[in-house]
Amino acid sequence: MRKFKVTVNGVTYNVEVQEEGGVSVAAAPVAAPAPAAAPAVAAPAAAPAPAPAAAPAAAPAEVAAGETPVTAPMPGKVTKVVAKPGQKVKKGDVIMILEAMKMQNEIGAPADGTVKSINVNAGQSVKPGEVMAVLS
Amino acid sequence: MATIQEKIQDLKARQEKVKQGGGAKRIEKQHANGKLTARERVEKLLDPGSFVELDQFVRHRCTNFGMEKEEAPGEGVVTGYGTVEGRLVYVFAQDFTVIGGSLGEMHAAKIVKVQDLALKMGAPLIGINDSGGARIQEAVDALAGYGKIFYRNTMASGVIPQISVIMGPCAGGAVYSPALTDFIYMVKNTSQMFITGPQVIKSVTAEEVTAEALGGAMTHNSTSGVAHFAVDNDDECMKQVRYLLSFLPSNNMEEAPLADTGDDPNRMDAGLNTLLPDNPNQPYNMKDVIKSIVDNGEFYEVQPHFAQNIITCFARFDGQPVGIIANQPSVMAGCLDINASDKSSRFIRFCDAFNLPLINLVDVPGFLPGTDQEYGGIIRHGAKMLYAYSEATVPKITVITRKAYGGSYLAMCSQDLGADQVLAWPSAEIAVMGPAGAANIIFRGDPEAEAKTAKYVEEFATPYKAAERGFVDQIIEPSETRPRIITALGMLASKREGRPAKKHGNIPL
Repeated sequence: MRKFKVTVNGVTYNVEVQEEGGVSVAAAPVAAPAPAAAPAVAAPAAAPAPAPAAAPAAAPAEVAAGETPVTAPMPGKVTKVVAKPGQKVKKGDVIMILEAMKMQNEIGAPADGTVKSINVNAGQSVKPGEVMAVLS
Repeated sequence: MATIQEKIQDLKARQEKVKQGGGAKRIEKQHANGKLTARERVEKLLDPGSFVELDQFVRHRCTNFGMEKEEAPGEGVVTGYGTVEGRLVYVFAQDFTVIGGSLGEMHAAKIVKVQDLALKMGAPLIGINDSGGARIQEAVDALAGYGKIFYRNTMASGVIPQISVIMGPCAGGAVYSPALTDFIYMVKNTSQMFITGPQVIKSVTAEEVTAEALGGAMTHNSTSGVAHFAVDNDDECMKQVRYLLSFLPSNNMEEAPLADTGDDPNRMDAGLNTLLPDNPNQPYNMKDVIKSIVDNGEFYEVQPHFAQNIITCFARFDGQPVGIIANQPSVMAGCLDINASDKSSRFIRFCDAFNLPLINLVDVPGFLPGTDQEYGGIIRHGAKMLYAYSEATVPKITVITRKAYGGSYLAMCSQDLGADQVLAWPSAEIAVMGPAGAANIIFRGDPEAEAKTAKYVEEFATPYKAAERGFVDQIIEPSETRPRIITALGMLASKREGRPAKKHGNIPL
């Protein structure tokens, strides 16, 4: 067990790293609640830090505590993005149209909020569970 | 020697003591937590003054770990019978103020007694759960108690409606009694159900989760599908249980109670003729169709938060209660997936067991593709729908509003699965697969593929090919759906259909 002190944006996190079966694993108890820490934790753990390079071409979907992800309910293709970042939305307001199962499915806001980011482009295919937008 | 008067006074004092349950302090705490007491819940559930309590003076006989000194008025559970809208029901309500509502030998014996009575008399049983779990001091006696309850839940399944209401903790083995019953109500923020609690999970898998996130009302209503109804508080919950009972017969030998709803059976709705978008790839809300056709637009949705791509609800046609199963095109295109199959199959079987006709509103593009679905066993889950519809002997009426493709057309109760009447709107598309996909296979490489595809759509994406073979009994204008369904229900009222004698079938689970 090795202990690291990691400072992200001025906040210091204590991170314990344990080697398991030859693969370094970051045993960080700060996964979901503090998103800023997540990429930082990966850095000291694995040797070739692939953090920024692995990000997809579309904007990376970061979901912080208190934010609501808009996820794809099924595999399909985004045909139209309706909402814009910064826009205030009410639960059920259409965020985008996802064509799947011979249907132009209206993907509604799962909760009231403001569109923080749109993480897909029209024409892009998505997998089930993929974060397509984030509401804050 | 005591006089008769003194004996009567003594009885009153004893009864009063039982009514106080765990005492004023614990009752206050129960109220502070936003919960009613067991007795208050029973009073709210039943018609005023109809409750008759049984086994008030039952006592535990445990002498382990100082339990002999522990007094438990009423043994931590209030049991008895009464009426809902004048109809007999049996009820038990665990009393959290008495040693945490924990279940021991005699606590279980009280529950078992009302279970036996309910089954003998053919009356619904409502179980109100608010218990810390097994009374550890009673060891295997407590376990035997649970076992006896589960056994009777199973014996009563399909004979009397069994409704479970979760109004507090319900953990470990205790969850299986509700799970064996027909419907589970959970009160938001005050009820939890789980097999192993947050502490055990933390020690075994290091996952940190709150009790509410793990097994709260919304978790089981939206994610796991364990529960059927999520309600805001105890008061509202009891109202909803009464409402649910209004749709149900008291047992499997009776018909559901007819109601005078005052809605004209011949009422037509021109709005239905314009409800569907011209483009078949655009969604609409199937609940608008349901609202339009049922009596007074009134329906009671079962599992409204789970697998929303299929709607299951109770409603009435000309006063006759029915179960409706409807694809919802505005959620996941209304496709069938594992959760939708499970949700609808259980509902179909409940309706069949209790003589409620099935009305199926079909707009289904197919089964959801994907590795998740295949690995999750969509084959065996989807098969439940075929099984449930095929085995059902109640009147089955299928109305195809738009898409009915491939296996999902069959799974939504096609004529071949025993639908007694299949009605189709002119917008119906009944075919083996979507026109674009089918044309792609048939006309592959054909230079005139595009023109031929258009022709294919015109010919095959209609109800007429199916009607040519008699798979559709009537093609109707959307506006006349309500009177057509009511006429068909009247025609089917005397339906009798046998099944080969068997111990029981082997539904793919």
